[in-house]
Amino acid sequence: MTVDRELTMSRAIVEAIGSEMRENEEVFYMGEDVADYGGIFDSTQGLLEEFGYDRIMDVPISETAYLGAAVGAAQQGMRPIAELMFVDFFGVAMDQIYNQMAKNTYMSGGSVSVPMVMTTAVGGTYSDAAQHSQTLYGTFAHLPGMKVVVPSTAYDAKGLMHNAIRDDDPVVYMYHKRLMGLGWLPAPPGPKTPVPEEDYTIPFGRADVKREGADVTVVTLGLHVHRALDAAESLAADGVDVEVIDLRTLVPLDRETVVESVRKTGRLVVVDEDYRSFGLSGEIVSTVADEALDSLAAVERVAMPDVPIPYARELEGEVLPGTDDIEAAVRNVR
Amino acid sequence: MSEDRVPVVADGAWTDDVDEEEGVVVNWFAKEGRRVTAGESLCEVQVEKVSVDIAAPTDGELVEIVRDENAEFTIGDTLAWIEPGE
Repeated sequence: MTVDRELTMSRAIVEAIGSEMRENEEVFYMGEDVADYGGIFDSTQGLLEEFGYDRIMDVPISETAYLGAAVGAAQQGMRPIAELMFVDFFGVAMDQIYNQMAKNTYMSGGSVSVPMVMTTAVGGTYSDAAQHSQTLYGTFAHLPGMKVVVPSTAYDAKGLMHNAIRDDDPVVYMYHKRLMGLGWLPAPPGPKTPVPEEDYTIPFGRADVKREGADVTVVTLGLHVHRALDAAESLAADGVDVEVIDLRTLVPLDRETVVESVRKTGRLVVVDEDYRSFGLSGEIVSTVADEALDSLAAVERVAMPDVPIPYARELEGEVLPGTDDIEAAVRNVR
Repeated sequence: MSEDRVPVVADGAWTDDVDEEEGVVVNWFAKEGRRVTAGESLCEVQVEKVSVDIAAPTDGELVEIVRDENAEFTIGDTLAWIEPGE
């Protein structure tokens, strides 16, 4: 009976957080508009009613102050979850994230750990312009010290959130706004999945093959898992058998699953909503070049061009990797 | 047969201050044919930018969804039917 229950991604995330808060009184959540409002992307919907203002805390608009407070609380043994409302805002608290959260375990010689989760909303598709539409996956995965999680379905989101809260290291949990299942920002089919009511964890560093195929490997994450699956569906009608790999976590990165798949197909397309240069797509391609160059017959990247993301709907649609772009890339490497 | 079925109604009981009478179904959390429990969230609807959950009025089987996702409705409309049972 419970197996049939479907949840949106936001509800799956909230269910994991609520369960961890019931189990462990050191877990608490803070961020802008997370209490009365329930999170502007529903990331804390309903939690205030159960846990109250002491554990679901609205904060003033100072990311430096509350992310710093979260780092301190974590070092003292609590398990804070602190929400950066839009990932684009990380710059105002860069020292807290890059130098304190990510490095204090190392700098203290291991005498403190920082078991916190920084949740943050990522991604475009809804005309929110250049300062509210980025994914910045590469920016967080680049710097050593943080684990980086990017779920694409409700099932994965719940298991990964349980794991994130229980992890003794800082975890950056990046949820794509378009996948959350909001009334004003409808999700495509795909992220809403059956979700068991009981707790379960999904280990970090294990990619998920969302579709098996023999001809071309598509490596992606977040929203573009669903766009790649759509592309695979229409390519299947033309006899092209596409394998779609959902990375799920960037740090740690499951290089093995990617390399294994390319050894099978010989053809690789990397699809990334983050900027093309100096990022995820380059990392995946070089991983395959390092470990399976002899298997690699053709490769292509589909990523955000290196420009600020436009506000105008048509222009944003132009720069965002679309299903048709993925299809074209797959045909190119065939 | 049909008079035994219990309607799942978007009755507007969640607010006494609705100016709009029209809403839209945002998400269904159950599919037709599923056993449901009284009080569990069956779907989420949105009226005047406010989202609320509609709960199952009784235990039973969700036999028919009348208003699917993205369908519009007027307050008071039946969204689905449940055939009562343990």
